[in-house]
Amino acid sequence: MKIGFPRALYYFDYFPFWSGFFHSLDIELVISPPTHREIMNQGLKKASDETCLPLKILAGHIQALEDVDYIFLPRMVSVEADTYTCPKFLGIPESVLPAVPEGQSVLTVTLNWRNSKRQVLKDLEVLTEQLGKSKAEIRQAFNKGMEWQKKYQNSMGAEWDFEDSLNKIESASWDSTESSKSSAPLTWKERMISIIPLTSDKAEKQNLPVGEKSDRLRIALVGHSYLTHESYANLNLLRKLHEKVDVELVQNVRQEDIEGHLSGLRKKIFWSHSKQIFGAGNKYAQDQRVDGIIYLTCFGCGTDSIIQELVSRKAREKHKPYMLITLDEHSGEAGLVTRLEAFLDMVERRRGHEGYVSTYGECLDSDSNAL
Amino acid sequence: MKVTFPHMGNAWIVIQTLFESLNVEVVVPPFNSKRTLNLGTKLSPESACLPLKLNLGNYIEAANEGADTIVITGGIGPCRFGYYGEVERQILIDSGYNYEVVTLEPPDGSLLGLAKRIRFLAGTKNSWAKILMAMRFAYLKSVALDRVEDLIHAARPRLSNPALTEKLYEKAKEQLVQAMTEKRVKDTVAWVQESIRERQEGLNTESVKPLRIGIIGEIYTILDPFSSVGIEEELGRLGVEVDRSIYLSGWVGNHIFRGLAPGYRSIKSYPKHAKPFLPHFVGGHGIETVGAAVKFAREGYDGIIQVFPLSCMPEIVAASVLPKVQDAYKIPIMTLIVDEHTGHAGIQTRLEAYVDMLERARLLQESIQTREGVLSVGG
Repeated sequence: MKIGFPRALYYFDYFPFWSGFFHSLDIELVISPPTHREIMNQGLKKASDETCLPLKILAGHIQALEDVDYIFLPRMVSVEADTYTCPKFLGIPESVLPAVPEGQSVLTVTLNWRNSKRQVLKDLEVLTEQLGKSKAEIRQAFNKGMEWQKKYQNSMGAEWDFEDSLNKIESASWDSTESSKSSAPLTWKERMISIIPLTSDKAEKQNLPVGEKSDRLRIALVGHSYLTHESYANLNLLRKLHEKVDVELVQNVRQEDIEGHLSGLRKKIFWSHSKQIFGAGNKYAQDQRVDGIIYLTCFGCGTDSIIQELVSRKAREKHKPYMLITLDEHSGEAGLVTRLEAFLDMVERRRGHEGYVSTYGECLDSDSNAL
Repeated sequence: MKVTFPHMGNAWIVIQTLFESLNVEVVVPPFNSKRTLNLGTKLSPESACLPLKLNLGNYIEAANEGADTIVITGGIGPCRFGYYGEVERQILIDSGYNYEVVTLEPPDGSLLGLAKRIRFLAGTKNSWAKILMAMRFAYLKSVALDRVEDLIHAARPRLSNPALTEKLYEKAKEQLVQAMTEKRVKDTVAWVQESIRERQEGLNTESVKPLRIGIIGEIYTILDPFSSVGIEEELGRLGVEVDRSIYLSGWVGNHIFRGLAPGYRSIKSYPKHAKPFLPHFVGGHGIETVGAAVKFAREGYDGIIQVFPLSCMPEIVAASVLPKVQDAYKIPIMTLIVDEHTGHAGIQTRLEAYVDMLERARLLQESIQTREGVLSVGG
């Protein structure tokens, strides 16, 4: 049995869980190719006009999956206690059904961590019938999925590319636990490699100084993982940044740090992603080593409209250079490059001049970030 | 302490009643207007939804009248509205308004915390019994208001002089504002009924069968005529009888009283109707929107209009499911998205075109043209 997994939205973040899950069930996962022009165009055609860019891309990826028995579209209601994901996640699969080619079956399951692990297991058991697996197997698969997800989370985005992180965890888990089983089916990573030819930029990446002390600027890029890692939609922002500066991501922040930086809010944030983003953004705003923050969002993102406001307030409070980049399907590369260069120039200049701004005409712009 | 609150259609009448019967000083902000929206938009995050912008405008205008405490309800998501309280507080503080924001919700699920907040608002003079009595009375008033609104919906397409109908509505609201006893509230509803009946006499109402359109969508925009650009009144003037998916008391009953009170037109049945199309809740009133569309379609309405503010997350999910409802029940569904740039003329044009289309469909249904019919026209 082959199950298609769209490389969009929950792929970035929760794929380790699902890959572990299906791997344990001995089901092959087919991942759609990285977003390209055609996928984007198809997505724009089939998705609802009002929805946001990531969902449009998801609609495109759904159509890019061919020759699979099922397309897997889980309803990720919640991934931790007391939080939800975005309402648009809750509407999957119904809201993207128009994008599913006719005659294609959809596999869906509700994942809700709000209540308890027991509830999650119970929900997953719905799959037994469709997949022809026993409850015990599902339970085992769940544990496997959790193990892989944990490994991914513990790596805290050690590699700056999502695929690289997966790769690393995968090889690690393979070495330690299952190296004896040489006849094991192809790992999902190997399968993935066969789909994406790893091009020359792989070598390029390795030349980059990793973790090395340098006088390079350190810029934090905060935003949803499905935007920061979606290199087609964000016009390769992550790589562009990485060429010039050291990049910090939301994934690089330890969970305790995130929790610690949530205080000061009178009310808990009830979106899990946004909680991470705010916690990380707040930490970076206070972090002396970070020279500037870039917030990446997309047009029409409901959770970001609120969280971006809160993060920008924190950045302003700490006099941290801050830029908001809003993506949509019409984003042009030249515009982005210009803004990025201007921002980096400004941050660099500020570093050289120690934020000195002539006091003449002071308070003309009381809102500005200048010291 | 002077308490204020955001506007949402007629909700101010109910909230004012609640606080006045507890002897809490309350400032009703000036009604939503272009000015309110402009003030709010200046302070709001650019991509926030319309209600947040109007709320902030309300607070600023209320601050000019001396308000210092904001009461707002909350929620634990995943709709953005649940986080309004905290964001609004931070925005207002940074803009130099010294507001205390009280969110009426159990903080972290603690009912004691909610009780403390109510106690803070009501002061020490009011006993719990009195607070409950006041809440009950306010609730009764909201049911009466909805009843009046529904009567007006039915009266608009049927009565001849639209200006008089609006006047009746205004007068009824005025009376309800002043009513402080249950009897007065009941009398007002009876009075509205009576006046409509009086004016109906002499009119041949039997032959009039107005089109019926169901309005569904995001609660704030459908309850607040300013943000929906007066869509109900407009449709009424075009000779359409309007019904709505959510009424104020239905929301109050479900949201504040946690379903203990059904309210006028309970919203409880909607998820059941929505099930074949959207089996899971999506926050806000997304599932209610879909459910209401199905319900209206089953009840034989001629059309359905969905209204929501730009970038409203739950309603976008609902909107992407609604085409399925449209196909299943062969009912035309129109989506209207409103934001701070919405113009009256644009909405009016779309409404007129939509109503024309529905009328045409009905005419065609009534007289399926025969060959002879066409020939006789030819002469």
